[in-house]
Amino acid sequence: MPTSKMDNPNEDYKIQSFDLETQKLLKTALKEPSAVDLEKVSNVIVDQSLKDPVFSKEAGRICYTIVQAEAKHNGNVFRRNLLNRLQLEFKAREETRLRSRQEWVCFVTFICNIFDYLKVNSMPMVALVHPVFDCLFRLAQPDSLNNEEEVDCLVLQLHRIGDQLEKMNSQRMDELFYLLRDGFLLQEGLSSMARLLLLEILEFRAGAWTLSDTAQKYYYSEVND
Amino acid sequence: MSFRQKSKCADGEYNGDENRNRGPSKWSNCRKRGADGSMRSNGDVDSTSTSDLKKSNPTHKHPDNRPVSFTTPESGGPVSRCTDWGSEVETDEMRTSVRRDMQRYRRRILTADFGPRERTNSSGSSDSRDSPVPGEGMEDDEEVLMRRQKQINYGKNTLAYDRYIQEVPKHLRQPAHPKTPNKFKKYSRRSWDQQIKLWKVKIHAWDPPAQQGSELQAIEEVDLDDIMDIELDFPELDSDASAQPVKVTKAPSSQLDTCHGTPSKMIKMEASVDLDMV
Repeated sequence: MPTSKMDNPNEDYKIQSFDLETQKLLKTALKEPSAVDLEKVSNVIVDQSLKDPVFSKEAGRICYTIVQAEAKHNGNVFRRNLLNRLQLEFKAREETRLRSRQEWVCFVTFICNIFDYLKVNSMPMVALVHPVFDCLFRLAQPDSLNNEEEVDCLVLQLHRIGDQLEKMNSQRMDELFYLLRDGFLLQEGLSSMARLLLLEILEFRAGAWTLSDTAQKYYYSEVND
Repeated sequence: MSFRQKSKCADGEYNGDENRNRGPSKWSNCRKRGADGSMRSNGDVDSTSTSDLKKSNPTHKHPDNRPVSFTTPESGGPVSRCTDWGSEVETDEMRTSVRRDMQRYRRRILTADFGPRERTNSSGSSDSRDSPVPGEGMEDDEEVLMRRQKQINYGKNTLAYDRYIQEVPKHLRQPAHPKTPNKFKKYSRRSWDQQIKLWKVKIHAWDPPAQQGSELQAIEEVDLDDIMDIELDFPELDSDASAQPVKVTKAPSSQLDTCHGTPSKMIKMEASVDLDMV
């Protein structure tokens, strides 16, 4: 559950889950974006992100590299296609959630990962701020809090991008945390795991997006008596 | 920050109508702003006569009795009508880039004023005569700068431009080489648009060889004397770049000979357009 951005020196984009032909496509896209159909590449990446929980956590990296490679020649086809596809998925998120919780969770993880990696002149994309918040607010609703998979996703995203999100819109972050406090205190039937996760994130934010040493020991120490 | 015109989806398209004053149309009473961009009060000639409305009052109702809150709120800058994320992010990126460029440019002007003139090698509008024309100042209207930057981006997002900058590093550039117009200088709309056109035509000299053949053919077939406005399509190799048609107004035929290099006629004509352009 504790997360940190992986700075893998081997530049592992975790594309092993793709079939070989697609892997080749992606590798070409990373080096020579103009040589491939970037719309196809963006769809391939989004599709996989919605299916593969592992990939959804780190797909932002490969997207970032492709965007940079294209930007060298003043292109931004990939980014545009990626974002517009993301927007379609965002609009359909409620149906996605009804159809498959896992896909919904993958989507949230992916869009947050994109928010984390794809910066615009060193700033997060303003266009994504409200959509990301919307997703997190959805995860903070009672029916989602009763689902550990969704609570886990919620706290994971807050760990990764909470501070950045707050900087972009602190009011919405405040409102989100009202919901989380309420959920923690009032929601009946919340599993003990869910309560643990919520308590930790409440403390995490209260400590300015970091855990005190003692809290760290409490939550993450493997030694329990 | 004011914006004069609600930009449309196809923002890159050249809209020459912007500064034309057409006079009140039948919709003008619904507009929040007059043709010159200033906010309208109910005392305007264009508005329908609803005599009981208050004048210049922020809480006044619009001529068709919409409450003020019904209108589009002022935003931080020009906003695209399309709310697709791709466009939003592009616009956002351009706005932050323009702001950052503006800061850099201001700093450079200040140091140019106080220190010896330097030839900079930085990317961005490096004009050896960066110091502003006295009495004019620099262009700082964000909407204008963004529009200009978009036009520049269209020119730079081409194979020809890529080839050009690889072939001719900045320190080897001659006056006749394409030079990106300086978006921070004050120019009239027409002057700026003309500079962009000419700049892009010059860049086409670096089109990949396959294109240049067809380009020459198109020129030979056209009789310039009979035609006022022609559009020459310079097809791009990469499918995603917009194929920008180059509008060529009735002009000496030498203008189209840029593929052979820049004959002296061309240079003279440029000089007459705008002395600062080189």
